Amino acid sequence: MRRPTALTGPERWYRWLLRAYPREYRAAHGEEMIATLLETDGDGRAVPWPREALALVAGGARARALGAGRGPAWADGVHLGVTVLAVLNLGVLVPYARSVPVWTALAAVTLFAVTRGWVRTALGLVALVGGKVLAVVLGHPWLDQTLLPVFSDGVWNAPPLYSRGGPVAPVAAYALAFLGLAVLAARHGPLRRRTWRWWLAVPLTAGVDPASWLMVESGSPRAAVRVGLELALLCLAVWAGRVAADPRWALAAAIALAPAVVACLEGVTTSRADVLVSFHGFSAGRQELSHLGVLVLLTVAAAAVPLHARRHALL
Amino acid sequence: MATGSSSVSEPTYFILAALLDGPLHGHGIIKRVVDLSEGRIRLPVGTLYGALDRLAANGLIAIDHEEVVDGRPRRYFRLTDDGTGLVLAEARRMQHAASIVTARAQPPRTAPS
Repeated sequence: MRRPTALTGPERWYRWLLRAYPREYRAAHGEEMIATLLETDGDGRAVPWPREALALVAGGARARALGAGRGPAWADGVHLGVTVLAVLNLGVLVPYARSVPVWTALAAVTLFAVTRGWVRTALGLVALVGGKVLAVVLGHPWLDQTLLPVFSDGVWNAPPLYSRGGPVAPVAAYALAFLGLAVLAARHGPLRRRTWRWWLAVPLTAGVDPASWLMVESGSPRAAVRVGLELALLCLAVWAGRVAADPRWALAAAIALAPAVVACLEGVTTSRADVLVSFHGFSAGRQELSHLGVLVLLTVAAAAVPLHARRHALL
Repeated sequence: MATGSSSVSEPTYFILAALLDGPLHGHGIIKRVVDLSEGRIRLPVGTLYGALDRLAANGLIAIDHEEVVDGRPRRYFRLTDDGTGLVLAEARRMQHAASIVTARAQPPRTAPS
């Protein structure tokens, strides 16, 4: 993109707003769009009209969704889902990094391998860390002497590791990641490298206590942030599926959501009216089940909208 | 059926209609759409280029030629045969849909004096 030495006020704004578009799109059409914007902006405003600014942001998001929707959908969807699981698995361990530094570091290396598309390396690492998690939740020392309870480092103020659920759900997250990677390894095709920005999600994920992500504690800012993030990401998956008429985000959402469903099934021990599901250590009422229901509903919607968009493409 | 739902949004319809008179570049399309819609539709640039991308991907418009003005590239878009066919079919559909109503519309009765 051309970089004039002296930018006018509106041009500076337009260039900044055009960053919503993918780099390749800006390189191909950025200057043309700047010229059209400056021609259309006849009154020489210092700041763009909000309507124009919103259209640029929406257009950029749409171009990004279309760009991300290229290539084989199922393989990219599985890779995206495994990437989310790798972030969640690392996020679970980060608050306990001082107590389990080696396993936290290995989970970080796993995320690195997944984002780089190194499937076989990631497969081995997931098996290793998942095996350790299985040993820990079953109370059998393996490779080192780590046993529950494991307490969080001071700054995180999180409950003891794996103290708010049964042994199946934590292992399910690793088992799903392993299965996904095994499928990708059998495919033999190259995977796209994922952006380094995935690492920004790790401290955020760790801060909202992903190990208890099915629980919605009333008045808890942590739970509110977690639920808000989940809903925003799933709404984004529905929107992207609609724009690109592509199911990869639905597939990724289903893979990422599966451990929560497993946790729910694991905890089903009673069907009392007010306490529908009893977990190891806590009881989930209607609020938690409604939360899970909304997440499942949005995932189903993300799978359904591409089919509808393909049949009724609006030009 | 002529009165069935359309796959063409109103801004897209006016973009296609603007190109019926010949190739236009982005700003030219925006101005022509304002004229054709009598000022009712003012396309934001982000919306315009999104629509142009979709129309080009569906083979309804194509790049006619490119030129450089003040150091910046400018693409001129033209309708393809498919695009011309689509906008004409859409016009006929709306014309037929309108005629169903206008043919039945009664002139307002004047009150007896």
